[in-house]
Amino acid sequence: MNDRANDRNATTPPSELTDGLDRYDWLGRLAARLPEDALVMATYIGAVSFEWAHHTGEHPRSAHLGQMGDVIGLAVGLALALPHRKVMCLDGDGSVLMELGQLVALGQHCPANLVVFVVDNGCYESIGWGPGGRRLSATASSTDLAAMAAAAGVPHTANVTTFDELDAEMELAFTRNVCSFVNVRTLPGHARVAPRQTDGFEDKYRFVRYVEQVEGTQILHLARQDRQLMKGQNPNH
Amino acid sequence: MLEHAAGEALAGLKEAGIDFVSGLPDGWQRNLHELVEADPEIQYAPVCNEGVGFSICAGAWLGGKKPALIMENSGLRVASEYIARISLGTGVPVVLMLSYRGDVGETEHWGIPHGIVVEPLLDALRVPYLIVRDPALLRRSIKRAQRISEAQLHPAAILISGDCVWND
Repeated sequence: MNDRANDRNATTPPSELTDGLDRYDWLGRLAARLPEDALVMATYIGAVSFEWAHHTGEHPRSAHLGQMGDVIGLAVGLALALPHRKVMCLDGDGSVLMELGQLVALGQHCPANLVVFVVDNGCYESIGWGPGGRRLSATASSTDLAAMAAAAGVPHTANVTTFDELDAEMELAFTRNVCSFVNVRTLPGHARVAPRQTDGFEDKYRFVRYVEQVEGTQILHLARQDRQLMKGQNPNH
Repeated sequence: MLEHAAGEALAGLKEAGIDFVSGLPDGWQRNLHELVEADPEIQYAPVCNEGVGFSICAGAWLGGKKPALIMENSGLRVASEYIARISLGTGVPVVLMLSYRGDVGETEHWGIPHGIVVEPLLDALRVPYLIVRDPALLRRSIKRAQRISEAQLHPAAILISGDCVWND
């Protein structure tokens, strides 16, 4: 059971938001453990993106392309397209809550090469503080995302509250091939690094060029006719 | 869809190089979903929500697939949130195959609002589209939609209606 289950006050900074891991620290530990040949689907705005990019040195294997409600969906598609490659998804509790159909798709298609880590800080931190404190999300009180993922059919789910548990889940995530959903209880706290200065278009090109390189394939076809004409082929088809 | 039209649509998808399809079956394109699901050259990922289906298609494109999303035009309203976020925000191509419920000839009252909304919504999302009412035009229309989708790195749509779905 969720140990935050009895507090439903949506505005007062509650004592239960003092449990969980420091986001910057646990993202750093995750970045250090990530296999070199893995791909990452993450958000491209907000503190998670800024801190992840800082820890990973803006490595192009991380797609900072997801937004509220679509990060897991994007990761499912990426994992289904590249079943031989480990894909890690980095999402937030507010984003998962916005589109719970993503959990259904995750459980339904269950890509064995996909592991989802959720930064669950129990609040909508990116919108800032009001007079009553942070705005809490449903995970602060009533909703257990890992339990929902399990109910949707995801074969391995976990709630992480300590670094030891995080280490154990990372070991499982990166040494075996099982579709997994790991919800990491995270302390609220503002980003410790500066905002990123790229938009989704630049991030898209950077990631796609990287996938083209490591997969030895061509994804972008922006001048197909010119290419065919230069080869003496008829482009009209 | 009429069986002949569904066959033409499948042929169009394959000739366009589409190798990944997501979507939510509807009454008109149910048989196209079945053809796609049975085709060994196309990876099929059905969903319960067209918005999630669009996200999955976009992720598949990032991994090197050529995706299409097959759905009723009502599904465009559900998917529009993620078309805006992903495609207007980052530039990702996905071919949209939409049943044009509410087109002239519609028999069902519930289809009317779907017809009223779909074209203005496609325009709002800056998604170019072709309305295909002749099965003989399906194949080349799908290929053309796929071509512009790749060239502009943004979705393009096919609205299916008329003689593709009615035999009157």
